[in-house]
Amino acid sequence: MRVPSSLEALVEALRCLPGVGPKSAQRMAYHLLQHDPPGAERLAAALSRAVTTLRHCTRCNTFTEDELCDRCASSQRDPSQLCVVEMPVDLNMMEQTQAYRGLYYVLMGRLSPLDGIGPKELRLERMLARAADGIVREVILATNFTNEGEATAHYVAELLHARGLKVSRIARGVPVGGELEFTDAGTIAQALIERRDY
Amino acid sequence: MKPARQRVDRQRGYVLHTYPYSETSLIADVFSREHGRLALLARGARRPRSAMRGTLLGFQPLELGWFGGGEVKTLAKAEWCGGLPLLQGKSLLVGYYLNELLLKLLPREDAHEQLFDAYEEALVGLAGNSTNPLTNSPTNPPANLPSNAPILRRFEKALLRELGYGLLLDQEAGSGAAVVATRDYVYIIERGPVEAPSDDDGSVKLSGRTLLDMAQDRYEEPRTQTESKQLMRRLLAHYLNGQALQSRKIFMELQEA
Repeated sequence: MRVPSSLEALVEALRCLPGVGPKSAQRMAYHLLQHDPPGAERLAAALSRAVTTLRHCTRCNTFTEDELCDRCASSQRDPSQLCVVEMPVDLNMMEQTQAYRGLYYVLMGRLSPLDGIGPKELRLERMLARAADGIVREVILATNFTNEGEATAHYVAELLHARGLKVSRIARGVPVGGELEFTDAGTIAQALIERRDY
Repeated sequence: MKPARQRVDRQRGYVLHTYPYSETSLIADVFSREHGRLALLARGARRPRSAMRGTLLGFQPLELGWFGGGEVKTLAKAEWCGGLPLLQGKSLLVGYYLNELLLKLLPREDAHEQLFDAYEEALVGLAGNSTNPLTNSPTNPPANLPSNAPILRRFEKALLRELGYGLLLDQEAGSGAAVVATRDYVYIIERGPVEAPSDDDGSVKLSGRTLLDMAQDRYEEPRTQTESKQLMRRLLAHYLNGQALQSRKIFMELQEA
């Protein structure tokens, strides 16, 4: 039996999602068509709307429908602090803390020298231009504590130091409410190396 | 003949690089002391609560266990050994360079214990040279750090030797005459140094002093540092066969910025 070409095209299109292989793509396609046609319509409409209306905020680089995102446009935020994060999910996490009133810059990735992702691919010059607006007093680096996140933080810090900006890095160590007994040794080792006066 | 499903336990090794695989797994390219470079599938390592999430970190000594007989084995266990601070700052970027050299030049499943030891020694050196400008309080200014160059040259030399491209440094190629510190030489790849022609023919020259210093792994002299770096760059470019090193490119871009 020949698979109709529109079905084939749908399966092929679904495969662009991360972690979706031919089998799962086929399962998704049959599910949408057979059990949930209205859901398929909604998905199609939401996708095409998102793709046509969403763009990157000209100041913080996160996704927005306008030129400036609500946060960057808000007068309630402190424009003298700029927090640099890797991805929008990291920004959401920072916001959940309710401990930060400044603004953000989302890199949309991280340096990964062995994957060929360098400063040009990350367009770090845009981040630099944002940080050097004359209003930002402190740049807070909140990239991940992986080697790639750490390399990104180092690189960004070097660029910002050269421009005379104050740079800080979020602290790492034993989690809040954490007990040493149940914390992994690597974390405790680094917490010990990076201990501070008390 | 190898058994189809061999099981290997308690192997000291380092993660060189990881690649995402399927939705929640990783393939880790590791360098182990007794089994050389291997591809290990870490099932579920990208799940939010995976015990391996924070463990499969490059530049950290691990104790690994795996099974399977194919080209990609299955990682059964990865335990953090400790004793090496995380690389930071410039040393971290240099660490990527070491890993990239191993990934591009070292064949899979070939044990190179001496190279492993040289790699580990280089990481210990880099970790000692690692300071984070952000964690240095004003009362504790960063000490003047020694250069990473000697660490790199020693590692590069060990790498070439282990790959079977050992360098002839203290004798002239062909004649076998001892290299003289005060003379100039031209290094012919895959052969060795020959005395430089007296007239300037545009070839890259290096001093006998540099060759002798390199033979003994001494890199204090500024001229030795410059010339040994140039020589190694030329040799590695030859053996890399036109493959560019991404980590070096990023390092250069940072120096220019």
